[in-house]
Order: sequence, then structure tokens, then C-alpha cells
Amino acid sequence: MTALNRWCATGVAAFAMLGSAQALAQDACPKLGGVLALTGAQGAIGKVIADAGRLALDQVNKAGGVKGCQVEFALRDDTSQPSVGVDAARYLVDVQKVSAIVGLVGSGTALAVVNSVSVPNKVPTIACCAVTPTLTKMAQEGKTDGYFFRTIPTARTTALAHAQAVQDKGYKKTVIMYINNDFGIGVAPDAKKAIEKLGGKVVDMVAYNENQPSYRSEVNKALAAEPDSLVLVGLSQDGTIILREWFSLGGTPNVILHNTLRSMDVVKGIGERFLTKAVGIDNGQASGPTAETFNKDFTAAYNRPAVGPGLHTMYDAVAVTLLAMQAAPKLDGPSIRDALRAVQDPAGIEVGPGVEGLKKGLDALKAGKKIRYVGATGAFRFDKSGDVTGPMLIWKLSNGEIVTEKTITLDQMNALEQKVGL
Amino acid sequence: MLSYLIFFVTVASILSIATLGLNLQWGVSGQFNAGVVGFVAVGGYGLAILTMPASEQLLVRLNLPFGVGLAASLVVCALVALVVGLATLRLRSDYLAIATFGIATSIQLLANNLEPLTGGSRGLVGIPRPFETLGPRGFALGYLAMVLVLLAAVYAGLQALLNSPWGRVQRALREDETVCAALGKNVVRFRLTAFVLGAMLMGLSGALYAGFVGTTSPSEFMPIMTFQIWAMLIVGGSGNNRGAIAGSFVIWGLWTFSGIAIVSVLPPHFQAQGGAVQAILIGLILVVTLLLRPRGLLGARHAT
Repeated sequence: MTALNRWCATGVAAFAMLGSAQALAQDACPKLGGVLALTGAQGAIGKVIADAGRLALDQVNKAGGVKGCQVEFALRDDTSQPSVGVDAARYLVDVQKVSAIVGLVGSGTALAVVNSVSVPNKVPTIACCAVTPTLTKMAQEGKTDGYFFRTIPTARTTALAHAQAVQDKGYKKTVIMYINNDFGIGVAPDAKKAIEKLGGKVVDMVAYNENQPSYRSEVNKALAAEPDSLVLVGLSQDGTIILREWFSLGGTPNVILHNTLRSMDVVKGIGERFLTKAVGIDNGQASGPTAETFNKDFTAAYNRPAVGPGLHTMYDAVAVTLLAMQAAPKLDGPSIRDALRAVQDPAGIEVGPGVEGLKKGLDALKAGKKIRYVGATGAFRFDKSGDVTGPMLIWKLSNGEIVTEKTITLDQMNALEQKVGL
Repeated sequence: MLSYLIFFVTVASILSIATLGLNLQWGVSGQFNAGVVGFVAVGGYGLAILTMPASEQLLVRLNLPFGVGLAASLVVCALVALVVGLATLRLRSDYLAIATFGIATSIQLLANNLEPLTGGSRGLVGIPRPFETLGPRGFALGYLAMVLVLLAAVYAGLQALLNSPWGRVQRALREDETVCAALGKNVVRFRLTAFVLGAMLMGLSGALYAGFVGTTSPSEFMPIMTFQIWAMLIVGGSGNNRGAIAGSFVIWGLWTFSGIAIVSVLPPHFQAQGGAVQAILIGLILVVTLLLRPRGLLGARHAT
């Protein structure tokens, strides 16, 4: 019994020391909480996403900070495990008293954190990297009280863009290959519905598991349906392998790629000469002036190109949250939640990313004016479920560079949505 | 701070129920189950599927109350464990480990793919929770009380079992199966009962966690959880029920506080690397424990 008592006493003492150290650090300055997968299965992309978020925070602090303070970023690692993520979010809210949470890579973590921490404790949560439609459904059923936002378009918008590309090219027999996780399973059924509503035909849907060295059997299954085109929804590593095997087994060059595959690394990994007829989809203005500002700043700060999933969405999540904190009259949940939509006032002064843009925005807010934040992902607006809609674009390869072939404007996206009924 | 403490103790207690189950299978009965997370998943999904409100997308629309759902998920877990136990009857040590590991992975993949049953990779949201009408504070305290009562009941039950003739046969089985068989003990029945009982406890743990968080998804049940529960048992002292509980609190505390400590200690520029440092810290402490005190925190010096 004494051994147990000794261990208990040590544990409680250590806990109390840590706790009091945190409690002493409370003041009226806002703290931003972040929960990201820095290690584990999603660790490779999570680390870079954290850098993008930190860039936004550093720029806001350089531009004068929020409410006269330098904002502190409390970033926790969920090690790609939802239970650790929930615990981290709980600590951020209960002990470190953060005013908002950003990040959340992966729908498992996002669902658990939003449901058990954000909503009951009224903490606005802005996800950068969770596309599951389940969160939209939760919001529509009133289960999020408006505390959930995300800067990444849901599966629905990317599915519509895929369908538009199929229709433009006049493909009649499409096969959809998708990664078998919440991301792929979110997009693929919507893409099928959209393609068929616009007059195309999906001859097969083939799922594949992530992190395999080869996908020959899945590619063969897809080719057996004799398609004239391929829509590929996957991540860069598995996407590269699939495309290599697709082309080597004689698959058609008519491929449509998801925005996760939009990088020169992927292109070089497959071979440019195979991708002459390939197109892809992405968020609109992912190559406009505001995106360029972010790309330049990111490369300058971290010495690597701003290429990869979640970078632009994370930057915008942090930037728009900090702007909302400045705009909110009080630093509590309901005020920040309402301010998150207010900083995208259509009649407001246009404000972009970068130290100058953010300074302009913060100064305008301090002077009581309204602003409209146009971020690294372009001009986005949160709809009533907290999701973003925005223009999309179709890209292609030309002379060894990724260029925009066509933009689908916001109005066209809305029209598509009506027609497809998603 | 207090609300975080309540949260931490609730989660650690839920995990210690699973560790007690593993202790029954390994520490007492000597069966190396490397598929702990599979049974946790069956319990968690069992509760979720049986208690979710009816929806057109789901096959099962029973919407049972929490208590009934909890009991029913235990029954489902027992059935699954029985099937697994019978299938792996002839397997020992490494072979049992590989087989159970494979079964756990299969269960996770089934959860990921059987959309009409489990909601697929989208997971299940909106699991009805008891005490929810009492507000966030009431819910936290009520749930903590329920978990502690269950933990105490499980602990008392296991202690009674261990000190009974049944417990003595299990420990004898762990040491030497052939001798037990020679003495006329039904080895199959004893192995199976220990396996199924242990798996039921793991299922209880999964169900309680799913009820606590209110959502479940396939990504919650990855092999890392098996590793965590094994670490809890080894560090706490295998063969010892108090050790299992202590180990759970220590390891879960390690997992969470290493993150907090990193955030407090590291300068901002290295925060993104904090996760890697956390992983190193956890590994280091586990290795040091195994080297300096291999019997665990509360393990007995000699086998009892």
C-alpha cells in the first residue's frame, strides 16, 4: 500500500505544480489554441501545416497583435490519435483558457473535439483540414450552435468541380478511384452523383487503402470497366503510385486529379509526358494575388515551397480567427463566433494576407470599420453551417508548369449546386 | 483546472478497465492478446450502433437507452471474443499474438467499410449520453461517478475471482498447461472464460469512452491503443490488479503531460517539433522503467 501511496502523492504533486504554473499565466490577452497531428500517420503533413499557422500568427503579432497584446499560440500534438486530440483540446480550454481552437487534421479528431469540447464549452473551432460532411450535418441539425467553422471546402464543392471538368471534356465513361478514408469516402459518392446528374456516366468506383507500395489490383479492376477517363481522389504519395501503374498498364491519359495532387513533385514523379491531357481541380484563386503573397511569405520564412495539403487553409483559419478576436467586443466564445462572420462583410474594406494586409485589417477594425478578409484560399465566406464556398478552378500542365485552364466562379458553383442538388 | 482533472481521471479510469481486462488475459491466465483495440472497438461501436437515434443511413435503428445499450454491447463483445477464442484455441504466445493482432486490424477495417452498420469512415456522431440534461458540469461529475463505481465493481469482482479456486487454476495454467491438463482441469474452458471475460472488460472500456465523447470513428481504434494498454499493464505491474489501475494513470498521464510539458518548456520556434520530442520522451520513460524496474510499479517481486 505504501508504494501506491508514494506514487499517488508524486503524481498529484507534479500535476499541481504544472497546473499552477499554467494558472499563473492568465491575463486578458487572447490565446489561440491549436490541435494538429505533428507526429503519427498524419505527422508529415501536420508539421508543415503547423508552420503555415505559425506564419499567420507571427505576421499578426508583427502587425500589432490583437487588442494590444502579442497573441500566444498554444499548439498541441494529437499524435494522429483522436483520444489524445480530445485530451489536448480539453487542456487548452480548461487550463490554458484559449479563446479559440484551430487546426484539426482528420475527421476522427475533428468530430471528437467539436462534439465533446468545442460545443459544450462554447469555444469557436476553425478547422483547416477536415472535409467530412458529417460536420455539416451536425451543424444543420443545430448540434454545433454555430461554433464550428472550416476554411477547407467540403467534399461537396470539390465533387462539383470534378463533375464540371468531366462535363467540359465530354467524357462519357468515367471511373472514380478514391482513397479509403474519411477524405476519399467523403468526396467520391458526391462526385459520382454530380457527374451523373450532369450527363456523364460513372462505370465503376474503386477504393484503395492508403500507404500501400503497389495498387496494381485496384488499377486493373478500374481498367476492367473500360473507362474513357479517370477521376483520382487521393493523396500525393498513393496518387503518384496509382498514376504510374495506371499509365504503365495502358490506362487512358484522360485523368482528372484532386487538388491534393496539384504539385510539381507529383507531376515529376509520374512523368510530364503522360500528363498532357490531364487536368485537375482546386480552390479558385489558389493562384491569385492573395495566394501569391502567402506563397512568397511562406517560402521566405521556411525556405520551402508552399505546396502541400492544408497550408493555405490553415493560414486563413488562423488569420481570420485573429481578425475576429480583434473585431469581437469581448474575448468570449459567443462574441468571437459572431465576429468570425463579421470580418467577411461584403461591404467591408478588402484586406489580404501578409504583414501589410493584416495590419491594414487590424487598424481598420480598431477604428471601428468593417473589413472583408480575402485570404490565401481566396475570397471565402462562411455559410450558416460554418462551411466555405468559393470559386473553384481547373488546372492543367503547360510547358512544364501548372496553369489555370478555367475558373468556375462562385455564381457558377451555386448554379451547379442547384442543378446537381447536393 | 478542476474540470480538466475530472476529465483526466474519467478517461484514465475508463482505460484502466481495459487494462484490468488485459491483466486477466495475460497477467493471470497467460494469454498474449495483441488485439486489445479490436475488443475495445467492438464495445465502442456496439454501444454507438445500439443507442444511436434512428436514421435512414443506418441499418440498426434500435435507439436503446444507455444502460441497456451498455449491457447489450457487453454481450456482443462476449460473443465476438468467444468466436475469436475458439478460433485461436490451439495458438500460444507469438502465434496467438499475431492472430489477435490481425483480428483487431480486421475489425478496424470492417468498421471503416461497413457503412450501413457503422457509418463507415464518417463515424457515428450524436451518441446519446447519460447525465446530459445536467449541463456540462453535471455531466462531467455524473459520468465520473458512474465510471468510478464501475471501476470499483470490476476491481472487487476481479479480486474475488483471483482469490477463488478459479483464480488459482488460471495462475497454474499460466505457469504450466500440461500439468493442469494432467490434473484433470478443462484447459479449454478455463482459457476461454478468462479470454472472454477479459475481452468483455475491454469492450466495457470502449463503450464507456464512446459514451463519454459522444462520437466514434474507425480512426480511434488504431493499433497504437493496443500498445498503450500493454504499456499500462507492464509499467503498472502485470499480474496485479492495483498495478493495472496505477499503470493506466501513469501511462495516460505520461501521454498527456509530456505534451503539456513540451509546450511549456520549448521556445515557440520549436513547438512544431514538440510532437517528436514527446514521442522520444514516452519511449525513453518506457525503456527506463523496463530496465530499472521490470516488474512494474506495483508488481510483486516473486510470482504469486
